[in-house]
Amino acid sequence: MPQDEFYCRYYSGHQGRYGHEFIEFEFHSDGRLRYANNSNYRNESLIKKEMNVSPLMLKELKRIIADSEITKEDDNKWPKKNSFGKQELEIRYGNEHVSFETAKIGSLVDVQDSGDPDGLRVFYYLVQDLKCLVFSLITLHWKIKPI
Amino acid sequence: MAKYEELDVRATGDLQDLEMADSQPEITIRRKGRGFQSGEQRGDGVHGSEFDKLSSVDSAAGRAQKSIEGWIVLITGVHEEATEEDISDKFADFGPIKDLHLNLDRRTGFVKGYALVEYDNFEEAQEAIKTMNGAKLLGQTLEVDFAFVKSANEDRGRRAGGAGGFTSRSRGGYGGRRSDRRSVSPSRR
Repeated sequence: MPQDEFYCRYYSGHQGRYGHEFIEFEFHSDGRLRYANNSNYRNESLIKKEMNVSPLMLKELKRIIADSEITKEDDNKWPKKNSFGKQELEIRYGNEHVSFETAKIGSLVDVQDSGDPDGLRVFYYLVQDLKCLVFSLITLHWKIKPI
Repeated sequence: MAKYEELDVRATGDLQDLEMADSQPEITIRRKGRGFQSGEQRGDGVHGSEFDKLSSVDSAAGRAQKSIEGWIVLITGVHEEATEEDISDKFADFGPIKDLHLNLDRRTGFVKGYALVEYDNFEEAQEAIKTMNGAKLLGQTLEVDFAFVKSANEDRGRRAGGAGGFTSRSRGGYGGRRSDRRSVSPSRR
């Protein structure tokens, strides 16, 4: 059923003196979680991890996304990507499909100074909550520090 | 790619986008965001291949997947004012808790609503799930299950009794991300 369709992906990265440095993760509706992190700084190499999370984990992820009401937002007034890099958040949930793109956000000051502080704040906190969840899952599953 | 560029999601000014997938009923998907306009494809992120995976060795564990050191149990429905002690008080009954994550809502500072607990043994984790799923904590009903499961392919192989190992799929992204973005037919796996 299309209502059950679900996908969630987050990317944050930039091109710099150490090449393409980024973190990216995605959840598929079947529970597959992929995480990739590349930093060439000090010759660190690409980390690519794949896990499968349970239906209860997916349900909790969907709850967090639904509670945030991110799909009601729009990125057209958010700061555009720049030389410091960009963030992307793609979420397919039910009949909503958003693919937001914005600059990296240093702090809430950047949120406040944007053309849409209320919407960008939703994005800012959701991204932090998603990263927090994914880092916990990676830390517990692999006993590594993800970044 | 060229096909995708014909589909300018903002061109019409409204966000309604009627979708017709082959031999599928009509589905209306509301699309939004600048991300749909950039056509770049990164091969080094989640759309790449050759990801590290933990494969199951323990067939007695059913669909649950062991993590590198132990078994991770997910608890949801956790009250926003619950403490690590509340969780460990309840869940240490089934075995020593090797690790515990009780993450906070970044905006409110209260508990986000879930906890992750690690046990050494499968039996401890299974007993915690059996006993605590549906139990109450601070007036809220908990849901408890394993956090990680075997991949679908692996699980099918297990049930079929064969050696159906995980086969890696390099196809990434949502539903064949760039080339056939118009198609939203479900279960394209």
